[in-house]
Amino acid sequence: MSEKNTAHIMFDKDGKPKSDRPWIFRTYAGHTNVWASNELYRSNLAKGQTGLSIALDLPTQCGYSSDHDIAKPEIGKVGVPINSLDDMAILFDNIPLDQMNTSMTINGTSMWLLSLYIALAEEQGVNIADLKGTTQNDLIKEYLARGTYIFPPEDSIRLIVDMYEYCLHNVPSWNASNICSYHLQEAGATPVQELAFALTTAITILDAVKERNCFNEEEFERCVGRISYFVNAGMRFVEEVCKMRAFCEMWDEITQERYGVKNPKFRRFRYGVQVNSLGLTEEQPENNAWRILIETLGVTLSRNARCRALQLPAWNEALSLPRPWDQQWSLRLQQIMAYETDLLEYPDLFDGSHVIESKVADLKEQAYSEINKIIDMGGGVEAVKTGYMKSALVASQGERMGKLVNGEQVVVGKNRWTDGIESPLVNDSDGGIFMVDADAAQKTIDALNKTRAARDETRAQAALKRLGEEAKQSKNLMEVSIECAKARVTTGEWSDTLREAFGEFRPPTGVEGQALSIESETLDAVRKKVDAFIEQHGYRPRMVVGKPGLDGHSNGAEMIAVAARHAGFDVIYFGIRLSAVDIVQSALEENVDVIGISLLSGSHNEITDQLFDELEKNGAKDSIPVILGGIIPTPDFDSLHAKGVKRIFTPKDFDLMSVMNDIMDVINTQKNG
Amino acid sequence: MPLSKHHSLIKELESIQAAMEAPLDAETRTLLEKAYALEKWPIAQLISIFERNNTDSLIKRHAISQYLAANADTYTRQATVIGLTGTPGAGKSSLTGELCLSLLKHQPDMSIAVLAIDPSSQESGGALLGDRTRMQLPVNDKRVFFRSQASHLDLGGMGKSTFHVMRLLRRLFDLVIIETVGIGQSEIEVQRLSDHTVLVMQPLAGDQVQFMKAGIMEVPNTFVINKCDEDELARKSKHLLNASLKLAKIHVRNEESQEQSIFMTSATKRRGIDELMTHLMAVREQQQVDQVAAQEEYFLNKWIQQAYGEFGLSLAEYFNKSSEDSGTFEQKELRYKSQIANFLTKLS
Ligand code: B12
Ligand SMILES: Nc1nc2c(ncn2[C@@H]2O[C@H](COP(=O)(O)OP(=O)(O)OP(=O)(O)O)[C@@H](O)[C@H]2O)c(=O)[nH]1
Ligand SMILES: [Mg+2]
Repeated sequence: MSEKNTAHIMFDKDGKPKSDRPWIFRTYAGHTNVWASNELYRSNLAKGQTGLSIALDLPTQCGYSSDHDIAKPEIGKVGVPINSLDDMAILFDNIPLDQMNTSMTINGTSMWLLSLYIALAEEQGVNIADLKGTTQNDLIKEYLARGTYIFPPEDSIRLIVDMYEYCLHNVPSWNASNICSYHLQEAGATPVQELAFALTTAITILDAVKERNCFNEEEFERCVGRISYFVNAGMRFVEEVCKMRAFCEMWDEITQERYGVKNPKFRRFRYGVQVNSLGLTEEQPENNAWRILIETLGVTLSRNARCRALQLPAWNEALSLPRPWDQQWSLRLQQIMAYETDLLEYPDLFDGSHVIESKVADLKEQAYSEINKIIDMGGGVEAVKTGYMKSALVASQGERMGKLVNGEQVVVGKNRWTDGIESPLVNDSDGGIFMVDADAAQKTIDALNKTRAARDETRAQAALKRLGEEAKQSKNLMEVSIECAKARVTTGEWSDTLREAFGEFRPPTGVEGQALSIESETLDAVRKKVDAFIEQHGYRPRMVVGKPGLDGHSNGAEMIAVAARHAGFDVIYFGIRLSAVDIVQSALEENVDVIGISLLSGSHNEITDQLFDELEKNGAKDSIPVILGGIIPTPDFDSLHAKGVKRIFTPKDFDLMSVMNDIMDVINTQKNG
Repeated sequence: MPLSKHHSLIKELESIQAAMEAPLDAETRTLLEKAYALEKWPIAQLISIFERNNTDSLIKRHAISQYLAANADTYTRQATVIGLTGTPGAGKSSLTGELCLSLLKHQPDMSIAVLAIDPSSQESGGALLGDRTRMQLPVNDKRVFFRSQASHLDLGGMGKSTFHVMRLLRRLFDLVIIETVGIGQSEIEVQRLSDHTVLVMQPLAGDQVQFMKAGIMEVPNTFVINKCDEDELARKSKHLLNASLKLAKIHVRNEESQEQSIFMTSATKRRGIDELMTHLMAVREQQQVDQVAAQEEYFLNKWIQQAYGEFGLSLAEYFNKSSEDSGTFEQKELRYKSQIANFLTKLS
């Protein structure tokens, strides 16, 4: 080693060459029930994992106890169900809370889950100041992309600020919320939109904290320092490198200029990552392994903008939930990257690169201009309510789909080089698919009933009453929520009390006024069929696109709704989280020619039953054809068809106009006998 | 159109007229009975008949209208039709939803139909009908029925068939609320088919008054300033509206006092909704004059003009003088068609 060539070396304080410690390897986990999940966490911890990343099921995320009608098809499907403090105690059985770093993907009910966690610690005699972890708790992105909101935006922001206030004073190492741009990219966001909308969210929260005026200057700086991010990284990995650098610079600038934070430590952009899953394909799923690797580069290459924690999807992302082996394979990727390569030995690789600098500056400029536009329009909450940000995301998603259809964006195995030898990976005995044990839900409901029967009812009711009252005043709701937790109040009861106080909220869908740029022969063919239909029947074909249950995956439904309008249908779409009854009623009132259901949460079997029951009740079962789309595993096709589903679409049906063509055929078959 | 076509048209019209002699078929009669009992799907299917643009539907529309007229003692409902219009995003749908909830609470026996119209795409002709998103109406409640409709590239904030659907809904419900497409600077036609028009505005926006001043739009019966979430805002907005009405010398129709026809509401904070509801109920009580004939004439003329232009209109005026003016809308429509076809064949 020559004396002068040292710029590529990092030295420790003794002047010895050093290398960085790797980021935290995370595995997002939880399913079935508290017993199964506890076992899973303990085995992961035994393997040397240091933090827990907890997936909760949709009823828990949306504020329903497991015995609520809307909860039943979803119990334990995509995460663990938590109904009360008793469940929480089982989930963390034999897991030392004060030594854990626990991250919970929870939003609408994040205050409740944190209260349960704190109550559990207190009951176990653990000092709550020692608790470490994160509640995701970014409601703005829930309205925009993820769908597990409950209350109106203002009330949601209040709960978030309550948590920041409480945590800073009582649980100082807890990240009360985690600003997410991950989900925005999954909903279609461009890098500029990701930067702009996420930073706008952070500004919205910090402005609200400032307005509450609950911190002195030093405390406020610490509060800013507690803001962390959850970011996405896609296939255009050089651009992603630049996006991450832009994030770091912009956060430093915003915290300094807008909030006057002096300590650079509190201005640092701390972030975790899950890499892009939207682009992972159902077709030739083995190719996804390479994609995941490339996406990892975007958030690990820059030392100055490297992620703190990383979790990776699996090669079979578009098929089903990952099985333990699939998760292990992705974990190995991280370990190989961190330990087999020399990545962690160097200072920042891109400092001084004109290309990177210019690209970063370009992204920053565009993102700032978007942020300023939103602030001028009244800020983040306003831009949720008017649907400005949501429409922008739907437009981007529509553009992406258009490029996939016309081949402008190449995706190998999907729209290029589509012929290939079939992957042996999907030929396992389980077809490469994870299945949840359906009977396990009963155990959860039994435990819920037991808790209700055993609790001190007077204490529980008193706690709920206090919660309702304090919600209407401007008190911090953390303490009363912790009391609710200890009084064995249930998830449904806590949420219902606040629903009563705040009301519920349904954000704009963003689909209105959207146009697609798809021009193709298939489109011409579909429009001909639509014209022929109008000629024959005297009206445009009518379709309702429905999202029943708690599934918040709206992309597919939005794209189908926009595409149907593009094809010339009259389409009724009114958002996510509706009941089968809502959807059937709308289909009847609107006298539609076809009902299109979109489901990605794995509850399609139960929900199709509900739908057909409801249609049957109204004497419309054989008169209105039902089609289904989303993540529907092939083994379920036969039974769904037998129930009466006319056509099933999955992610590989990305050519929206040939989907429309098929739908016209379904309609015509129904009409003409 | 070549002459031979007119000859065959006359033949076709004759056969339609013959078909119209037949009484209402049993199946549709059952549908009507169920619809009058407020069953949702039957109502929806009847609406479709009134929406569709083909001969079968025309014949059925006639038969239904005639049947309803002949059985007026069974089918006694005669709804008040309220037209709700205003700028895009002013909160028409949210307000309609809240109004319905308030009505259901205070007038538990009243049946309400909401017809919400959304714009169609210029390019594809299709439409996204999303007004349901904003209305959280109870499910499986027979008292309130919601239907979306596309404007189908018609100007005036309504669709081609809105008038026809209104004719049906009037006879099935106690109250019909029609929400138009958000209006820009275009004429609002909803006044032509409603007994009472409500203009919904955003706070501190004087632009609607400007339209009226320019005479583009007739004066609505009731003004609503929605999104008055705070008292202060409500006060300011009301002041501004009053001032600009005065400036524009606009007086609200059928109202002794301007004050009584201006409402400040917040659909999200549920303010001022009950007051507006009470006002509309009072309107319903007072409503005496039967506007149906005038409405029908307007839409008949509109249809003639669309089908035959100005020339058609002048012909119609000429025919009108010489022929009696009774029957259903469909009969009149056919009468004009055949008169014009006959006239054209004679011309040659
Ligand atoms: C994007 C995405 C998200 C986004 C959703 C953003 C949004 N607003 O939609 C975000 C990040 C928010 C998200 C969150 C979650 N997700 Co997710 N997500 C995905 C992902 C990667 C892509 C789905 C997508 O949007 N594709 C693009 C659209 C356009 O395609 P599509 O929906 O498939 O629709 C096409 C066809 O299927 C069909 N179609 C679909 N619907 C309909 C309807 C009709 C009528 C017709 C004709 C056709 C049709 O046509 C469409 C056009 O081609 C999938 C995996 C994958 N690659 O598919 C996982 C996936 C669906 N998610 C999953 C999970 C578990 C979750 C979470 C529950 C995780 C958790 N525990 O918190 C959360 C919760 C979300 C919630 N509230 O329900 C699982 C579901 C597992 C299962 N079914 O068993 C999947 C399969 C990932 C996995 N392998 O684990 N997710
Ligand atoms: N702050 C506030 N917002 C409201 C109120 N009423 C409606 N909104 C919001 O205004 C937006 C538009 O509401 P809609 O009810 O869809 O308005 P609209 O007039 O029917 O809109 P179009 O049919 O699209 O023309 C939504 O985001 C509503 O939540 C209100 O009283 N106060
Ligand atoms: Mg509307």
